[in-house]
Amino acid sequence: MCDGGCKGGARGRPNMAPVYPKAASYPEYAQLVNRENAQVDRRLFVDEAIYQAELQQIFARSWLFLAHESQIPSPGDFIRTSMGEDDVIVVRQRDGSVKAFLNSCPHRGNRVCMVDAGTKARGFICNYHGWSFGIDGGLRGTDGKVYEKDQAFEKAQIGLTPVAQIDSYKGLIFGTFDPAAPSLLDFFGPFTFYLDIMLDNDEGGTEFIGGAIKSEIDCNWKFPAENFVGDILHAFWTHQSGAQAILGAGVDLGKRYDELAFQASVYGHGIETNLDKVGNTRTLGYPELVDYVYDLSEKASARLGDLRARAIGAISSCTVFPNFSFLPGQNTFRVWHPRGPGKIELVVWTLVNKNAPEHIKEAYRKGVMMTFSPGGVFEMDDGENWEYSTRVNQGFVTRQQPLHYALGLESTDLERELPGHIHKGSMNDANQRLFYTRWAEFMEHDNWTDLQNGDTAPPQKSVKAAE
Amino acid sequence: MMIELCDSADIGEGEIIRVDVPGCPAIAIARHEGALYVFPDRCPHADESLSEGWLEDGRVVCGVHFAEFELGSGAVHNPPVGCPNLSFFKCEDRDGKVFATLTGGPEHV
Repeated sequence: MCDGGCKGGARGRPNMAPVYPKAASYPEYAQLVNRENAQVDRRLFVDEAIYQAELQQIFARSWLFLAHESQIPSPGDFIRTSMGEDDVIVVRQRDGSVKAFLNSCPHRGNRVCMVDAGTKARGFICNYHGWSFGIDGGLRGTDGKVYEKDQAFEKAQIGLTPVAQIDSYKGLIFGTFDPAAPSLLDFFGPFTFYLDIMLDNDEGGTEFIGGAIKSEIDCNWKFPAENFVGDILHAFWTHQSGAQAILGAGVDLGKRYDELAFQASVYGHGIETNLDKVGNTRTLGYPELVDYVYDLSEKASARLGDLRARAIGAISSCTVFPNFSFLPGQNTFRVWHPRGPGKIELVVWTLVNKNAPEHIKEAYRKGVMMTFSPGGVFEMDDGENWEYSTRVNQGFVTRQQPLHYALGLESTDLERELPGHIHKGSMNDANQRLFYTRWAEFMEHDNWTDLQNGDTAPPQKSVKAAE
Repeated sequence: MMIELCDSADIGEGEIIRVDVPGCPAIAIARHEGALYVFPDRCPHADESLSEGWLEDGRVVCGVHFAEFELGSGAVHNPPVGCPNLSFFKCEDRDGKVFATLTGGPEHV
């Protein structure tokens, strides 16, 4: 019983050090990806408990895309984004480095930044009690006249919770909440070989232009992620009318499909490409972009080699596990932010080479808007499919029926000297199987040693090929 | 009476430093375009330290709630609600030493 000296219920002082969650192990969820039969259990797309496990196992540990360097060039420049469902501020520091913080005041939890982006911020002041944080996240002060007179108040140890690790790869900034996560380069593994198709095809580097397009789709985040990781198959049916409207003909993967097309996967990241040079770029509807990519492709072959130079504008798509995707040639880069098992917030940017002429950048910007925005020809096609693929699983009996991921079971390519798991042909479920295998690894393993040495890890011969 | 605060070389261009004078609340000294400015190291809004803020376009910016005070006049810009102007002490650079009149000065000291 309190004798009157209980300090209002407190027995000690607060420990305001950041708390980074521990991973667990969910083998029962990992088994929902049936590797024996190439099937995936539909509970992955609707179950709330599985979704919470994804936030813990995948989104609290993976390196997640935060921003392009070009979005925050100067000290105090910031953007607000998400890591999983966690609201995050990404800020350029005075020393040129980048930091990111949870957008939540450690006092009562209110958001400290309400806007999507800004330049030259001096700091972030919580609207609730005036707690003020510098762009370095540290608590600068409060209301001054109250806390400053409280001898027990320890300002120095209070701040916005920092994202545990930040790094960038050729202009793209990523972060992870896991202090124990391997480096960003180790997380990518030799998949950087394929990222360079878009990020390093020109000496001047890249930038995002024209702001972001945001929308919501009532689908599970994994449907768009798996679509970009390796589903060109859908284009022939889903996008047939859009392709005919823009190109005057259906989707065409090129005359040398059997010889050139492939899928590559490393740690669940995946790319499918047909090496047809300009198939994706043509769908933006601007002939000058096709000319630009042809020229770029010739110049880039010295830099990237012939194979990757052919991929710059080709019919292709890519996902970096778990939820960052892009389309070479169409230059749309996007994150599928999870918002519960049945909803995503989609944020889309346009990436261009800094050295590209202004009219080319403008054509990309408009082309992306007309194809891959909420009103765009192709985005609309996809959204409805993903919504119904998600929603039907509310049916109790429906969700007992496993899904088929068995296209291309005999398509492994052991001959081609390329990094990662290579499969012949872009029309294949191989990358999607490996995406879900990676998902299962994250559910199963509570440590990075196991995570980086499972079945999705790159085959050794391929690692050598990349060096 | 003017009292000695520090060496004027201690204050670089564009900097604000804090000086503790025995018997007085903390003092801030800033240098802008060569000239020295002496003022209380306490924002008139919420008592936070101004030496932990910075100079920007001829103004002292409080690093906590971002009130801006014009050097010299003390006129406040971007004030949080209820924030008055800042007052400055009379000061001189005498042979490399900063001197200022701290008594009979601004009401906030």
